[in-house]
Amino acid sequence: MKIAITGATGYIGQRLILAALRAGHEVLALSRRPPASRSSVKWYPFDLADTMPLSFPHDLDAVYHLAADTRHPQGADQVERTAAQRLINAAGVIGAKFVFISSQTARANAPTGYGRIKWQIERLTLEAGGWVIRPGQVYGGPERGLFGQLCGILRHLPVLPVFFPAPVVQPVHVDDLAAALLACPALGVPTMLCVGAPGATNFTTFLKAIVRGRTGGRQPLCIPVPTMLIRGAGWFLGPRLNAQLGFDRLSSLFTLPQMDTEADLERLKLTLRPLSSGMSRSGRCRRELLREAHILLTYVLRMPPASLLMRRYVRAIEAFRTGRALRLPQLILRFPALLALLDGAGCVEAAFRSELVWRLNTAVMLAEASPQGARRFLGLERVHGWKWSALRMTLAIMSEFVRRMVQLFLRPILACVGRRGTFQ
Amino acid sequence: MIGESEMHFDVVIVGSGPAGVSAAFPLIEAGLNVLMVDGGCGTTLNPPVGQFLDIRRADASQWQWMVGRNFHSVRHSDAVSPKLRVPTHEAVFEGFGAANSIVADDFVVVGSLAPGGLSNAWGCGVACFTDFELAPFPVAPAEMRVSYGAVARRIGVSGAREDDLSDFFGLDEWSQPPMPIDELQGGLLARYSRCRDRLLQNGFRLGRARVAALTEPLGARSACDQSGCCLWGCARRALYSATEDLKLLLGRNGFHYRSGFVVERVSQEGEYIAVTGRCEAGSGLVRARRVLLAAGTLASTRLALQAIDHRVPVSLQSCPTAAFMLWLPQRLGRFHSKSFGLGQLSYSLTLVDGTQCFGSLFNTTGIPVSEFARHMPFGKRLGVDLLEPLLTSCVVGNLFLPGGMTDVTLRLDANDRLVVRGAYREEVATLMAEVHRRLRASFWRLGAVVMPTSFKIGLPGADIHYAASLPMRTEPGRGETDPYGELAGAAGIHVVDGASLSSLPAKSHALTIMANSDRISRHLVKILR
Repeated sequence: MKIAITGATGYIGQRLILAALRAGHEVLALSRRPPASRSSVKWYPFDLADTMPLSFPHDLDAVYHLAADTRHPQGADQVERTAAQRLINAAGVIGAKFVFISSQTARANAPTGYGRIKWQIERLTLEAGGWVIRPGQVYGGPERGLFGQLCGILRHLPVLPVFFPAPVVQPVHVDDLAAALLACPALGVPTMLCVGAPGATNFTTFLKAIVRGRTGGRQPLCIPVPTMLIRGAGWFLGPRLNAQLGFDRLSSLFTLPQMDTEADLERLKLTLRPLSSGMSRSGRCRRELLREAHILLTYVLRMPPASLLMRRYVRAIEAFRTGRALRLPQLILRFPALLALLDGAGCVEAAFRSELVWRLNTAVMLAEASPQGARRFLGLERVHGWKWSALRMTLAIMSEFVRRMVQLFLRPILACVGRRGTFQ
Repeated sequence: MIGESEMHFDVVIVGSGPAGVSAAFPLIEAGLNVLMVDGGCGTTLNPPVGQFLDIRRADASQWQWMVGRNFHSVRHSDAVSPKLRVPTHEAVFEGFGAANSIVADDFVVVGSLAPGGLSNAWGCGVACFTDFELAPFPVAPAEMRVSYGAVARRIGVSGAREDDLSDFFGLDEWSQPPMPIDELQGGLLARYSRCRDRLLQNGFRLGRARVAALTEPLGARSACDQSGCCLWGCARRALYSATEDLKLLLGRNGFHYRSGFVVERVSQEGEYIAVTGRCEAGSGLVRARRVLLAAGTLASTRLALQAIDHRVPVSLQSCPTAAFMLWLPQRLGRFHSKSFGLGQLSYSLTLVDGTQCFGSLFNTTGIPVSEFARHMPFGKRLGVDLLEPLLTSCVVGNLFLPGGMTDVTLRLDANDRLVVRGAYREEVATLMAEVHRRLRASFWRLGAVVMPTSFKIGLPGADIHYAASLPMRTEPGRGETDPYGELAGAAGIHVVDGASLSSLPAKSHALTIMANSDRISRHLVKILR
């Protein structure tokens, strides 16, 4: 595709460009300042307040409108609406798809001007047959946008504010959002898509994830803060200071309408990465998962797995589970064969047990589908003949018997495993 | 777009599966103007090319077709059949229930929006219904026979051999020679010929499976090379899929095809039938003198019930199934070898009360070991330790009981959704126990052991043999069809897929669906021309 991106230097824009280039698309960046990856994209100076006529190259496939004035000074409504209309018209002339990045706060009667103008532009976009994407709480990657503000605040605060009544957010990693944006033009009939974690995440959980992943990791003291206080402060500070300190955006979080995202994610064929891995600087928290992959796959294969296979296992866990590694006992971490003690053991805590079953089944499926697995599962390089086969089968059956007996003996010890099962 | 709203056709065929394409041939040959529509979920991944064992040994990218780049088989690890986990068939099963407004309660619902329908992923079992089995049909067996022949020759079937199942299958005159048999099943068959009389007395008959797979080239399709990749799809196109017929039809005069058009409603409009549906560009409408419903039993039933606004539950037949593993101890220690991955042997078993059941045996090489490991009462590591030397001397079998033994109701609810509810009849549990016992005894005589705990009864609907929801009757009532599949109360709408079969014996029914569709279509030619 050949795509144009407004707000190309912004938090989302920057990541969208990277994702687009990685997918082999050609990118035109529309922004006030040239984008960082200037060599590989074409830059066109663009300001929301421009009034000059706008024209796009004829072979452009899609226009992504990300630019917005988040400080939202007086009179911005008109400016943003006009800018959006100009872009929609210009895209319409050449038949390019139009994708508008809105906000979860968008409503006709939103408490912030930001939410109201987003709502108005949503209408314009949908009327013109364009796509509207409503992202949840965007996080991850470079510390910019509201996410950057939150990181900054938490880094300087000696305590962790716990707002009550507890607001909820639907986090989406900035790179997952970029993937959704790139996927939508190919989906057929344009519509509005909500992109965020399907279930609501408590805002405090979200802040704690930032602390864990970004600001040092030690859990600071939690101080309850009534949301009324923030709103009161906002009123007291006046609109300008309020906007500068980010209080208005913070208070808009407290009245977020929950989005039903499941069907839209399904349509986009997108599985969002879990918060815990998305929050780390690399966007993935793989070291522990790789260790788990090593243990489970070694247990199944009876030999160390190829590194590609381990990474495949990690991706599967990230795609379908919480992305957290199982907490396995130290001894098993050192001797993967000891996983036999936990495999199918009835006394292990129930949630841990069913999670282990799922992960072991996945490990078996993935391990088998590799040349390494083919040798092990099909016995391609084994000595055959009925004596050897009978011997191996007898050994397996006897070992299974012994394994069950040992599991029975170690019942009291095994029952402790998984109690702290924080894989969820 | 072919079917602009003003376009009129002689016939619109809804669905491009085996029933749809079989109906199309006689119509096209008679010079009629035909439009075929389907849901258009295209295939995204090609089947593996080459010998299964060679690819497994060397190809580092095998996980892409074994598990899928998006981890398709992990995502569907709860699915009832290994087939539903195969990444190369992902598009075949995708989105069927949702697109066709079908909801299920305690019943496995499977269907397809893909060009070629479920035949992209079928077991290729073919059989003719005997005159006895055709008795509930308001059709002369001789008339069916003509159509059986035409379809069997067109799609290419193999397995012809004078054996104890020749009459049961009834299609040897049109068949290619049988597949080369592997040493496991060859051994079973050899032993069968030695103790045949005893087994026949017990109602057990064994013979070569008849399959829609080529042992000799046919048109652009190559003969089977025993690659063992059958489960994943055949790169040589030796296995029949309705897409093969679709390719033949596409060049023909008078044939129009529109993929990606999901039919939502079929209704009478004066002398025409209007077919409305949705596609990427929005909604669409085409008109025709006749409409043939071949969207798969469940989807066709929904459209038919909706057309006559019939909101009373109708019944459906579906074969209770089971699967089991056979161990041939004297073959212990052999190597995996190349072999045909679908049915090589079939058996039929007559129970004490006269119930006929049927099943086939399969080589295990091309089936992932993880499919067995998941059912083993063993730890994973030792489970694989045991299965690896064991599986080379094992075959797996399946079993079907007659379709009337599942009580299934289909009801069109107020929102025009089809609600499917089903359960096995009470006697199924006892019959399954008898079958299990009898199979154990019969195979024991053949030197094979039905592995303990391996006999597993499937969930209702897991057979994916659904039929007889709108049965053909001489004098059809509401919710039934006439001898040519024409829906009572909706002239011009014909049901040509499994829905209009009059009954479903324990037997592969695809060929009968195709033959019936061919027969109805021949009749329509006479009327429309």
